[in-house]
Amino acid sequence: MRSNPEHRIDPRAVPYWRWSAVINTVFLLLIPAGCFWAQQRWQWPTWIAYALLVLILAYAVYLIFIQPDIRWRTWRYDVSEQEIDLLHGVFIKTRTLIPMVRVQHVDTEQGPLLRRFGLSSVTVSTAAGSHEIPALADDVAEQLRDQISVLARVVDEDV
Amino acid sequence: MYKPQRIHPLGILSFTVRTLYSMGQALLPLLIIAIAQPTFRKWIFVAIPLLLAFFIAYGILYWLRYVFYISGQELRVEYGVMVKKKRYIPFERIQSVQITAGILQRLFGLVKVEVETAGGGKEAEFVLAALPRKTALELQKILQAGGKPLEEAPDEKDSIEYKLSIRSLLLLASTSNGIGVAISAILVVLSQLDDFLPQMNVWVKIGTYAEHLAAARVSLIILAVFLLILLAWLLSLFGTIIRFSGFHLRREGDSIKINRGLFEKQQLNIPLKRIQAVKVVEGLLRQPLGVVSVQVVSISNIGAKGEGKVLFPLLPKAELPEFLEKVAPEFSVPLEFQSLPLRAKRRYLLIIIIPALIIAILGSVFLPWGYVAFILPLLGAWLGNKQYHDAGYQLQDNILLLRSRKLGKETIIIPRRRIQSLHVSQNPFQLHSNLSNLKVAIASSNVAVTAQLKGMEKEISDCIMNGLMSGHE
Repeated sequence: MRSNPEHRIDPRAVPYWRWSAVINTVFLLLIPAGCFWAQQRWQWPTWIAYALLVLILAYAVYLIFIQPDIRWRTWRYDVSEQEIDLLHGVFIKTRTLIPMVRVQHVDTEQGPLLRRFGLSSVTVSTAAGSHEIPALADDVAEQLRDQISVLARVVDEDV
Repeated sequence: MYKPQRIHPLGILSFTVRTLYSMGQALLPLLIIAIAQPTFRKWIFVAIPLLLAFFIAYGILYWLRYVFYISGQELRVEYGVMVKKKRYIPFERIQSVQITAGILQRLFGLVKVEVETAGGGKEAEFVLAALPRKTALELQKILQAGGKPLEEAPDEKDSIEYKLSIRSLLLLASTSNGIGVAISAILVVLSQLDDFLPQMNVWVKIGTYAEHLAAARVSLIILAVFLLILLAWLLSLFGTIIRFSGFHLRREGDSIKINRGLFEKQQLNIPLKRIQAVKVVEGLLRQPLGVVSVQVVSISNIGAKGEGKVLFPLLPKAELPEFLEKVAPEFSVPLEFQSLPLRAKRRYLLIIIIPALIIAILGSVFLPWGYVAFILPLLGAWLGNKQYHDAGYQLQDNILLLRSRKLGKETIIIPRRRIQSLHVSQNPFQLHSNLSNLKVAIASSNVAVTAQLKGMEKEISDCIMNGLMSGHE
């Protein structure tokens, strides 16, 4: 029985996810706003806008107050010489293994919001898609990227 | 042989037809426009014979100019009417010299010689359309004796060939996927007939259909739709025949060569090293006939288009192990499977039956004949049960086998070292019942391919995970 990976992602991931959920919610709220406007203009039925508003607010409450904590608690990763081991998922728990010899390249990424929290994400790409470790402290992310990059430098010609 | 010589005059015909075919594609729109314009229409009867005469003259000229000979260690061909072209092929570049005979050639006791080079593309291939058999054999002997390096000598291993017989082709065409779609479409149309011709039994309906046809415009539309579907069916039938006729697979050393196509000969070259996984597909219609189709997931650039992945379209299931052993030995494993635990069955049944039940209930509430839809949950139960029983896995000799069914049964054979990433997931229900889904990602030319098996024992998917990963070379 394989033990779960040990490393957690940075705790600052939680406020980061909260804020990005807030921003997303603001954009989503434009939809019911549009509906209210359409209701004034073309006499659309009122319930559409209200129903959307309720749905979006409920979803926002979940995304802002509930999901980030669970997500942080469930995210684990490990990088060994042989493989990259990821475990995550709020409802559906997914364990992902990427053999080190299959890694084609590795990137760190930092959007404006991530930068505000001093975080970066690490993306590992194989010939069949990429996998992201979402929020790591800048220095940890860079170290991890370099580590994977060195480990992945194993010659393997068959992709 | 060593002096420039022409091919048999029958070649004129083949040159003419070839030009006609390629020019015809360009001229067809013009022709259609001309027919549509009354002022041009009378000219067509003059233009077409003129064009034909021109093409025949061109064919004759082409034939006159087309010579081949052997010089030194090269096969040389010189041709071209407007632009004179010369092509020299060194013997060592020649991969194979094939002698075939079509109906026309047979009438005249002639054969066709095809010279293939390593390039594999259309440009690098030579076709001498009509030669006396004796000349052809002589040519083949010279080319192959001089051309083939020793390791290319056709020993037992190098002469593996599979051909699609006419019978198999017809079977393939008549059970192709397009037909399922067509049949269901026809059923939909027939069910619509019910509403237009009420209160009669089916056979009377058909009998009186002709009368109604004259009376009701709606019926005419239905007839048109019906004919359209029939046409679609025929098209899918002929489409399959055109694409797959003459399907011919040959393994040469480390690569697989596939030739196919009725009008447009397609050639595929799949290096064995590039094959990531082999898929064995048993369609719903084909399964009772005991035939399978073999596909590959490969990262080869050649033939990356849709049907490029077909390794062999129709093979008796009993011949599959031998086929794999000979054609793609890396993927040759006994196809034995472990089945899923009984508690996984519930998921397979519910995931189909519940939506079907909802549709049936909604249908019977809102539609006059809606309760007929209750056949859906029954069909769903049948399918779900089948899906559960066909789901299976195996890990042996570093090869992972996964078998599952959507409508058709699919088995995928993945060597361990081809796995790009591996996922084991559990949803809340599965956490409770200790089951899991196993997903494997492999590389391919276009989109990443994933293979998935749902409802595996958690311990076993962990075990497979460990087995596949530990000590990865």
